[in-house]
Amino acid sequence: MRECLSIHIGQAGIQIGDACWELYCLEHGIQPNGVVLDSQQDQLENAKMEHTNASFDTFFCETRAGKHVPRALFVDLEPTVIDGIRTGQHRSLFHPEQLLSGKEDAANNYARGRYSVGSEVIDLVLERTRKLAEQCGGLQGFLIFRSFGGGTGSGFTSLLMERLTGEYSRKTKLEFSVYPAPRISTAVVEPYNSVLTTHSTTEHTDCTFMVDNEAVYDICHRKLGVECPSHASINRLVVQVVSSITASLRFEGPLNVDLIEFQTNLVPYPRIHFPMTAFAPIVSADKAYHEQFSVSDITTACFESSNQLVKCDPRLGKYMACCLLYRGDVVPKEVNAAIAATKSRHSVQFVDWCPTGFKVGINNRPPTVMPGGDLAKVHQSICMLSNTTAIVEAWARLDHKFDLMYAKRAFLHWYLREGMEEAEFLEAREDLAALERDYEEVVQSF
Amino acid sequence: MSDTLTADVIGRRVEVNGEHATVHFAGVVPPVAGPWLGVEWDNPERGTTEGLCILNAGGSFIRPNKVNFGTDFLTAIKNRYVLEDGPEEDRKEQIVTIGNKPVETIGFDSIMKQQSQLSKLQEVSLRNCAVSCAGEKGGVAEACPNIRKVDLSKNLLSSWDEVIHIADQLRHLEVLNVSENKLKFPSGSVLTGTLSALKVLVLNQTGITWAEVLRCVAGCPGLEELYLESNNIFISERPTDVLQTVKLLDLSSNQLIDENQLYLIAHLPRLEQLILSDTGISSLHFPDAGIGISMKHTAFHLFPFAVFQWSFFNELEKLPSLRALSCLRNPLTKEDKEAETARLLIIASIGRLKTLNKCEILPEERRRAELDYRKAFGNEWKQAGGHKDPEKNRLSEEFLTAHPRYQFLCLKYGAPEDWELKTQQPLMLKNQLLTLKIKYPHQLDQKVLEKQLPGSMTIQKVKGLLSRLLKVPVSDLLLSYESPKKPGREIELENDLKSLQFYSVENGDCLLVRW
Repeated sequence: MRECLSIHIGQAGIQIGDACWELYCLEHGIQPNGVVLDSQQDQLENAKMEHTNASFDTFFCETRAGKHVPRALFVDLEPTVIDGIRTGQHRSLFHPEQLLSGKEDAANNYARGRYSVGSEVIDLVLERTRKLAEQCGGLQGFLIFRSFGGGTGSGFTSLLMERLTGEYSRKTKLEFSVYPAPRISTAVVEPYNSVLTTHSTTEHTDCTFMVDNEAVYDICHRKLGVECPSHASINRLVVQVVSSITASLRFEGPLNVDLIEFQTNLVPYPRIHFPMTAFAPIVSADKAYHEQFSVSDITTACFESSNQLVKCDPRLGKYMACCLLYRGDVVPKEVNAAIAATKSRHSVQFVDWCPTGFKVGINNRPPTVMPGGDLAKVHQSICMLSNTTAIVEAWARLDHKFDLMYAKRAFLHWYLREGMEEAEFLEAREDLAALERDYEEVVQSF
Repeated sequence: MSDTLTADVIGRRVEVNGEHATVHFAGVVPPVAGPWLGVEWDNPERGTTEGLCILNAGGSFIRPNKVNFGTDFLTAIKNRYVLEDGPEEDRKEQIVTIGNKPVETIGFDSIMKQQSQLSKLQEVSLRNCAVSCAGEKGGVAEACPNIRKVDLSKNLLSSWDEVIHIADQLRHLEVLNVSENKLKFPSGSVLTGTLSALKVLVLNQTGITWAEVLRCVAGCPGLEELYLESNNIFISERPTDVLQTVKLLDLSSNQLIDENQLYLIAHLPRLEQLILSDTGISSLHFPDAGIGISMKHTAFHLFPFAVFQWSFFNELEKLPSLRALSCLRNPLTKEDKEAETARLLIIASIGRLKTLNKCEILPEERRRAELDYRKAFGNEWKQAGGHKDPEKNRLSEEFLTAHPRYQFLCLKYGAPEDWELKTQQPLMLKNQLLTLKIKYPHQLDQKVLEKQLPGSMTIQKVKGLLSRLLKVPVSDLLLSYESPKKPGREIELENDLKSLQFYSVENGDCLLVRW
């Protein structure tokens, strides 16, 4: 029961997915071929995990042979990235039918991903999704991983989301999206793709967790001492956060155990569904055990902008809802003391109309790290999900860039050639302008 | 605390108002009545009494009842994890608020119930819980036998024996952290076989010496990771029977460690990662005869520290299995104009390196780096006697020590060609002029002139110049040129509108004028 289906779209989605499932396997003790570790030493662990056996079920499907297959679908319009998984370390973990690739990619073009190339693949994808959904006893919903800026990530995702809403109207859909980095841009037309996709997917998604490449890049560079962070290092950090967010879905924990709870706890209005994530502590592997972080330390760290995954300043906005998820060896007494001691408490401002403030939950399972990675293993970690109006800053930046290019109709012909119309651009831009206004309205007091 | 003091109070660790200290004196101090404790604070700035002449640091006299001697391990665990069965009112503390909104805790009751089952505890953290002793014998083993990881940092443990008493009772103990405890280590041999399952031992900031380290780890046959940060360690001897299984050794922030001591730990057979950040190492020297620096897939973590010479990286090249290196933030790479250049130089200096500063070195990058290195030092190589022909190649000793990989690079990519090594001339006008000789084949008495003319000059203008010189009308002049590279061939410069460049006139050519 309560199964979650993950769909990874485009290069970003697939690479995050690869790291993600690797981490999940480490956390659940599943080997790269899908079999659970069964050594003597782990008998004790397994005994402890017996009552949480159901946790496997949410994300992994157990075959009769005892293999655990992830409930995931990897989709891309060109084969290179998926071939990486087909030949990679975890190739025997996935069923070949879960890895779907087309032949011609979307070339960073929303129109190609959505209309021309994407429309050829969509039916196959939906069929596979149906198959995976049938294996579930009680599907809760979908977790979509994708980037805003790429062609497949933006175009194909919006097409897919529309069709998913059509077929599975009552199921929750959560997104983990990579927001185009303000300073590190891989394609010039990212603002176009981002605005167009946000316009089309907003009404179909229930909650979107944004990850900003530049923020993560800075964390890797400054805190982990990585000179030129590659996608691999960035993804390893991102999946730690993803793992913390989904921890309650996979292990027994009290907070956010259902996908629907994320909505209820974090989303006050359907359109205001972009929470910001922060994570602490982030310690480099060669500084393991040098500094000890107490629960108070990591709680305070969460409110600092250097630990956030999106570049924005929460002190400039107001909070609407917030969740603190502790993981590891954390005692309720300490959490209460830590929160009471957080110095930043008084600078946190809430909107007037919101009665509840912070929700705090603890998950006993300690955070795991991937061997050979840059992060050190810590005993306690915290992940903060906050719906703050300050995130409108991110949208404003995007809209500004969109305007600059659109004013000159630059690069527009690539989209018009694939059958799009200028009207769609204007519509999308207006939608985002309305989103910004919505955020402003929320802040105003009555 | 009772006022009666016994002699065994001396040497114990205590806590007073958050500050940790060691007891050095117990007794009466006339003329004031009553018992006093003389303590030495950890923090040298605390404390006022100079009268304690046995101490070097700050000390004070304190009444025994003001001092916390700590609790035993089991009590500390119960304090932290067990659900208190006290009256309900005690637990209804004031509601914590953030931003004027109450904080809602979800599911804390079930967590507390779960954690209360001490026998199920596997990971335990008792940092700063004032643990000073193991408590009654066997108590810990009975209550929480399944503990695998215990963090006892910043407590009041006073000796290694006390630590052993605790660890002894935990058969499955894998990770033990006793950092920030000022421990007294035994001078004789230690009880062996007690920590057989221990894999990770953390002894940061405990004031331990190298000899004591070797004695303590004698009881940990399967030790894989050893952390010894900030202990002022000076490696005095080579470990013979111990530390043979250690994969990771953290010696950062030990300023007394210098390069001469590295040799003593270089022979540890399983050592994979060596962390030497913030130590006294400023240069490296490994003896050449490959006496097996037998580290497998070693990773060196070296930042931030002072690398002052590029020869440092040449020394690292001598380690046959070094695959990863971290050395950000050291003065050598800061001096360089770009970190990028420094990175390329390091990559080229150490051939087998696969990861630098936690970024993988792709084959493309390595190729680029090595080609750059070869080009950058090409002129030096030539001056030191390098030559394409292996017979004529006689490099000076100096060059070979400074650039040990250069020969190898020449073999791999070929010796650098002359045209590669030509330094770019700055783009000034005088560098663009062609120096030409002007000869008059029919008038042998005229002197041969030498003139500098720009290559873009048209033949018409050249004729004009010559006519003014020779006092001959332009229309009578016939120009051709001859190149010393192709003697005997004369090329006519017939089209007046074309330039000298068009006819490929080069530096050193000879213009022939006839009329």
